[in-house]
Order: sequence, then C-alpha cells, then structure tokens
Amino acid sequence: MQIARRSFLLGTGAALVAPRLGFAGVETLIDSPALAAKVKAGELPPLAERLPTSPRLINVAAMGRAPGRHGGNIRMLMGDQRDIRMMTIYGYTRLVVYDEKLELASDLLESYEVERGRIFTLRLRPGHRWSDGHPFTAEDFRYWWEDVANNKRLSPGGPPQAMVIGGETAKFEILDPQTIRYSWSQPNPVFLPALAGAQPLYITMPAHYLKQFHQRYAGKEELEQKVKTTRVKDWGSLHERFSRQYRPENPDLPTLDPWRNTTPIPAEQFSFVRNPYFHRIDENGRQLPYVDTVTMTIGSAALIPAKTAAGDSDLQARYLRFEDYTFLKGAAKRMNFEVKLWKRAEGASFALMPNLNAIDPIWRDLNRDVRYRRALSLAINRRDINRVIYFGLAKESGNTALPESPLYDAALAQLTMTPDLAEANRLLDEIGLAKRDSERIRLFPDGRRLEFTIETAGASTEETDILDLIKQDFIAIGIKIHPRSSQLDVFRRRILAGQTIMSGWTGMDNALVAAEMEPDALAPTSPAQFNWPRWGQYFESGGREGEAPTIQEAKELVELYRGWRHSTTHEERRTIWQTMLKINAEQLFTIGVVNATLQPIVTAKALRNVPDNGLYSFEPGAFFGRYMPDTFWFEGK
Amino acid sequence: MLLKYIFKRILVMIPTLFVTSVLIFTVINLPEGDYFETMVAEMQAQGEKADMSRVEFLKKEYGFDKPPAERYFWWVTGLLRGDMGYSFEYQLPVRDIVGDRLLLTMIVSFFTIIFTWIVAFPIGIYSATHQYSWGDYGLTFLGMLGLAIPHFLLALIFLYFANIWFGTSIGGLVDPQYLNQPMSWAKFKSVLEHLWIPVIIIGAGGTAGMIRKLRANLLDELQKQYYVTARAKGLPPGKALRKYPLRMALNFFISDIGDILPSIVSGAEIVAIVLSLQTTGPLLIRALQSQDMYLAGSFLMFLSFLTVIGVLISDIALAILDPRIRLQGTATK
Repeated sequence: MQIARRSFLLGTGAALVAPRLGFAGVETLIDSPALAAKVKAGELPPLAERLPTSPRLINVAAMGRAPGRHGGNIRMLMGDQRDIRMMTIYGYTRLVVYDEKLELASDLLESYEVERGRIFTLRLRPGHRWSDGHPFTAEDFRYWWEDVANNKRLSPGGPPQAMVIGGETAKFEILDPQTIRYSWSQPNPVFLPALAGAQPLYITMPAHYLKQFHQRYAGKEELEQKVKTTRVKDWGSLHERFSRQYRPENPDLPTLDPWRNTTPIPAEQFSFVRNPYFHRIDENGRQLPYVDTVTMTIGSAALIPAKTAAGDSDLQARYLRFEDYTFLKGAAKRMNFEVKLWKRAEGASFALMPNLNAIDPIWRDLNRDVRYRRALSLAINRRDINRVIYFGLAKESGNTALPESPLYDAALAQLTMTPDLAEANRLLDEIGLAKRDSERIRLFPDGRRLEFTIETAGASTEETDILDLIKQDFIAIGIKIHPRSSQLDVFRRRILAGQTIMSGWTGMDNALVAAEMEPDALAPTSPAQFNWPRWGQYFESGGREGEAPTIQEAKELVELYRGWRHSTTHEERRTIWQTMLKINAEQLFTIGVVNATLQPIVTAKALRNVPDNGLYSFEPGAFFGRYMPDTFWFEGK
Repeated sequence: MLLKYIFKRILVMIPTLFVTSVLIFTVINLPEGDYFETMVAEMQAQGEKADMSRVEFLKKEYGFDKPPAERYFWWVTGLLRGDMGYSFEYQLPVRDIVGDRLLLTMIVSFFTIIFTWIVAFPIGIYSATHQYSWGDYGLTFLGMLGLAIPHFLLALIFLYFANIWFGTSIGGLVDPQYLNQPMSWAKFKSVLEHLWIPVIIIGAGGTAGMIRKLRANLLDELQKQYYVTARAKGLPPGKALRKYPLRMALNFFISDIGDILPSIVSGAEIVAIVLSLQTTGPLLIRALQSQDMYLAGSFLMFLSFLTVIGVLISDIALAILDPRIRLQGTATK
C-alpha cells in the first residue's frame, strides 16, 4: 500500500515537470503537488507563468543542507493573537535581506545600486506577482509613497524616519515599470538596513487591492458603505485596518511572503498556506517553500513549554527558555522531537545599567564616575554566575559584539571582566569612599551608606538569581544592594523619572553587528536605554525633552553616531563602529555579565534543514528567518 | 406589594450601576500611562521598534488626547446604546471579541455548577445527619482539600496526567484540529473529552463551601422542635428530612443565584489561563494588564449588570419562597 502510494506520487510528480530551459540555470521546474492539482483543474496558471522570469535561486546543497521535497504542515504554538506577525518575521522575505555573512543581499529585488550613498536604484524581477497573481511593479511603490506615506490622513507625521534625512524627504522616481529610484541630497545609510529589518520598513503595498479603500480611487458611496459595514470611523481607519502587512490579519491582503494567512481574526488557530507566486526556487527547480502549510495555535504563553513537550509543535523557540531545556529533553524521545540549543545574540543576557540620570545628585555623580563602574565590574564573579545559573554554557563577557560579528574584538569583550577585588577596593577608596561602618559597608562623605536597590522588570527568576549572586560579590567590596523585581511598565517609568539608581536588563539587542547596521544602541539615542534615558530622550525629541549629555564620552558617542548617519563608505562606518565599541567597553556605560546564553529550539524529528547551531535573535536574522524556513522540509510520510 | 418592591429595587439599580461605572473607569485609568505606552514598552522589550509618530496618531484616533471626563461620557453613552467600544489590542469591536468566547464560557460554567451541586448536596446532607462520624470527617476533608489546594496547581497536575494517561491534548477545550470549525458531533465529543478537567478543578473549590453551608444550615434546623415532633410522630427519617429541615436550609442556595449569574459569564479567570481555555476570563485579565480600557471596562460593566440582576432575581425568589423575608423587607401584609 505504502509503495503503491509513493509510486503514485512520483507519477504525478513527473507529470508536473514543465521543461523550460535556461530558467535561472535550472532545467526543469517542479510544482508542489498541492498546487499542481489546482493547475490541472485550471484554477491556477502553470508554475513557469507564476514565477518571475528570473526567480531567486537558492542553492540549498551549497548551504550545507539537503534539497527537499514538497508537502507537510508545520505546527507552531503562540501565546497571543498579535503573534501572527511571527510569520512575517520567520518568513523573512524583504526587498533586501541579510545573508549568512550578515551582508545585504537582494531578495525580492533582482538587484539594487547605490551611488555615493544617497541615490538608490531598485530593480524588480520582471514577471514577479503578488500572492493573488497580480503583477508586482513600480506602481505598488508609487502607491505607497504618494498615496500612503505622503497622505495627510494616513501618515499625519509624513514619511517614516528612515526616509527623512535632516528634514529632507526622499525624491521618488519611476524609471520604468521594473525600476524605481529614491534619492536624497545627503547620504542615507539607514535606508537599506531598514528594508532588511526583521520588522521592516514597508515601501510597497498592493495598490490594485488597496485602492478600493482609498479616498482618491474608490467611489464615494461605495467607500461610505464599507466604512459603515466594518464599523470604523472613516476611510483612513478602513485603509489602515485592511493594509497591515507586518501583522497579516487580513487574509485578503496580497503578500509576497512564502506563506499567506487564510484565517480572519479573531481565531484560536491561524492557517497559512503557500504563496503560489513565491519568487524563490531551489537548485532542482522546486518552488519554495517546501512545506505547504503552517498552522499557528494560540494559547496561554505559560503552557507552551508543556504543550511543546507533549509534541504539539513542529518548530518552536518562542516562549521556551533555557530553564525548560531539561524538561524538554526528557520528553523528546517519547514524543519524537529534537531539542537543539542555539545561541542568543544579545550583547549581554544580563547587564547592570547604572542610571546616569538618577535624580539623587550623590548617586548620579557616583554612577557617572567611570572608576566606580569599573570597580563594580571588577567585583562581579562572572564565572560563578555562569556555572550556577547557566551550567557554564554561557560566555562571561562585556556588553559588546559577539565573536560571530565582523566587528568583534576579543580584548574589548574581556576588558575589566576578570575579578580583581584589590583593584576594585583601591578604585573605591580613590573616589573617596574609604570610610566604612561597623558592617564594613562603605560610607559617603555625608555619612550615608553605599546601599541601594537594583531593579529588574520581573520577567523571570533568572534575573533575581543572578542579582543574589552579585549581592555577595558586592558585599566583599563594601557595597550593599537589594534586588527588587518590578513590573515592566513601572520599571520603565521609574528609570526614566530617575528614581531608579541601577537596573538589570539585557544588553544590546543586536550584538551580531556589522558596519552597515545603525549603531544607535551605543549612543544615547532613545529613552528606552536604561543607563541614560534622559539623554536618549533629549536626542530622540530633538532637544525638546530630556537633558543634553554632559559626560565628554557620551557627547562623543552622539557625534560619532551622527557621523555614521552621514557616512558614505564602508571603511568610514567600520571605523566609527570600532571607536564606539571601544568607548563603550572602556567606559562601561552598561556592565555586561554574561552573553551567548542558550535558546532551546524544538523541531519535529522529521523536519529537515533546521541548523543544529544557530544564532537566535530578532535583529538581525528575524529569529528563524535568516535560516530560511522555506527551505525546511519533512522527511518520510 | 411585591410589585412595588420589585419596582423600588429596579430604581435602586440605576445609581448602583452609575457608581460602579465611575469606579471601573477611574480604577482602570489610575495607573499612569495608557494602552499605547504599555504596548510600546512591550515591543521595545522584544527588540521591536515603535514608531512614535504612529503612536501619537493612534492616540488621537481613539480620543486619548481628550480629558478623562469626556472619554467617560462617550463610553457610558455608548454603553447605553449597546455599543461596548473598541478593543485596541484586538483592533475589533469589543462585542465581537467577547461574543465569540461567551458560548464556551457558559458551557464550562454550566457544567461546573451542575457538578458542584451533584457532589456537594449528598455530602452536605450526609455530614449533617451523621455529624462527627468518620464519613462526615472524611468527606468534609475531601471537600476542604479541593478548597485548600490552589486551583492553578491542581490544573497543572491534571493536565500532565491527562496527557500522559489519556493522551488528551494539553490546554484548550478542543483538540487543535477542531479549532475554527463549526460545531459538529466530533467537535462536541472533543469538547466533552477536555471539559471534565476544568469542571472538576473549578468545581472542587466551590464544593467545599457549599458542603459547609448546607451542613451548618441543616444542623441548625435538625435541632428544632418541629423536626423533633415530626420524627416523634413516626415520620421516617428520610421523608421527615426532605419535607421540613432541608427546605428550610435551602435559603442560602437561592441567595447564591446572585453570584452565579456573573460567574457563568466570566468563568474562573486564573484556572482558565493555566488551562488555556478560550473563555472570557483570560481575555479580561489580559485586557486589564495591557490597559485595553474599553474591553476591560465594558466587560466589567457587563458583569456588574449581571450581578445586580442576579441579586434582584434571588431577592424576589426568596421573597416568594420564604414569607418571613418579605415581612421584614416591606411593612405589612
């Protein structure tokens, strides 16, 4: 029976092969059996007509993986309806993407050119189509730019930040239906990285579909009727509701991603089916993705490790933590799945953030003294923390680039990281904190004890466990701390208000940095940076809120960051990055404890091509995205 | 007389609900910040960027630039018209979101209440009539166990063993393949297969309370003259019990109706989260956490409304069943 079925499949497979020589170096094209049936029924054009004339060829074998075959369904678990954006992230289909070497490569685009860092010419693939079969052309870019980004109702704040340089918005030109150009009078190094982001800048929208919701194109009565039936305020809300691309809530919205959503909200389970017009093929001529459908089941986040252990997921990392590893490993054999360990790519999994904008002047001045920050760093016994909390599997390092990053510098990662109590005590004495009380706690000149609270957002007990260990280390240099876990909202607000003296948080979100990426995490640029929230706020609001940085090094970082925003060459950017990393490591504005902690990845045994070792991060890489889930496939069955 | 009483009670409901609505609105708005700030905080915690101009746009869109009094006014007048407002998180009208989950919630609650009654009634009667016997102690102990063990813990233990022994999928009320499908016989069977876990767990807590109440009320009555007389005249114990003291002991049961109505709709929140039930409870908690104001507020208002109605119903029923109460409540007869 089994054999008979297989030979039947082979038979249909052979019938699908459409000979078409010279197709991106592939001799024959192979359609998914699921779609081939539709082609036969006349519901869908044949594969050769669905692909662009120059599809993106993915050489799966060259990636060190096995080319696969079509079919199957990947099940995933999510904790929240909003998590359906994970499909956009995992799918990681962008105009340009980061490749394996963290360099920008064209994906949806056939090619692109950059002149003097300010003129960007983007070339589309001729014959490329949206998931509903309508051609994907320059018109879709024009629609977004003219009718969305520059429409007062839809974008009251004007075009997105990445397309505005010093108050100047981009100049948009259509050179031909497949070629568009954006240009500025100054260089714009953030434009391409924004397009390649895990949460990308969308500069194109399916115009043919969305025009029915746009005041400029739709009939007035028809539009009013739609506003009424969907119970929204006006056409603007209507357009905004049906045009969300990042969170693919609208099943009718055409997409360019490997899978498209077919379930309207609200729902407990979302099914995604393959996009018949997806532009990637493998070396054997098979259209990607290999897997036909993806289902995403929504449930409580707290139950996801348990459900995963019961074999309810084929590909899961979200909501799994390192502490679940042993439990998952125990269930792996019984439930037929594998647990891999990937590395997390934050600059620090846990870092101390001395608040340089604390209200209390005594603590603020102390936090701003680099000798104090160095003393703290030298007092932490990172080796013990690594062994006790992470079984020695993490890396003791400062909050800086990871070894996998082209900007990694081993010396910077280890600067002031080796415990040295004598030196720490000497530095503190030198600051003028030599006096101690009967408990051997140091005293300020005014008699106050060097005793303070370190706050965490209370996301996990891991943070408080680490702080309990650090507490012992700090007692040894005469500093008393009290770990206190709070709640994210309150936590942020207290830090921004300067009520928090020091907090514990993760380091740089993205430590797989490359020169082309924006170095905003290294300079005071955002109020969400817990070491200098008010300086960040000052920068972000253009000086309207917050306060200007006063420390020389912080000012220098802002200048370097501005320099990067105006840079034109790779070398220039690389130098700026290196200087900024160096200043951060020397000044210890954030005190990293460990990084490269591990992320459990659960995959069904039959699921092929999921790498055994990988880096798990939102930016860059889009979690699984950079490893191309469209090349994952099911063996057997 | 009764009609006048009912009319008066209905009039009192209006100021009660008004005060409740003010309280709900104030309490939800008490924490600093609003939904959008919470959303930005959560996004940034995951490394995602929030476009601040977009947030400003949304705030304006939903009227957050207006003073609280004005927002309160719009919310309440909306409620009067039956418009429960708009959920920011789901970006859908509140009615659509709650309505979707109401049916499952009512199924779970209905079975739970039935379960509680079936278990608590015989035990309560038995332990009152056999006071201080081994049976009394043993059964009361069981009931107390259900009350004493935290529900969420019980839920986790049940989930684990149900999965290992019976292969029931963890969490939820149906197997994943039936999600988003219309109700069918197979889906109904799948619901039943999952339903017993929440029913037992949520029911376990209520059982103990009910056993104790029934036992105490019954014990009071069992010592009274009329019962002793009935027994002395030779009425068999079972019949004597059913005919007199049990009926007297049931008053608490009627007055409980007031609480039952809202709990049917809200379900048990924490257990529902642990068990990942698609009921309204987790929705409410999540909405309160993320300050999804209209979803949380309107749903709480809906619950308060049901409570008020439930209390009214139970008062009327009590007045009809037990003439003594009416005499105390109104002046004469």
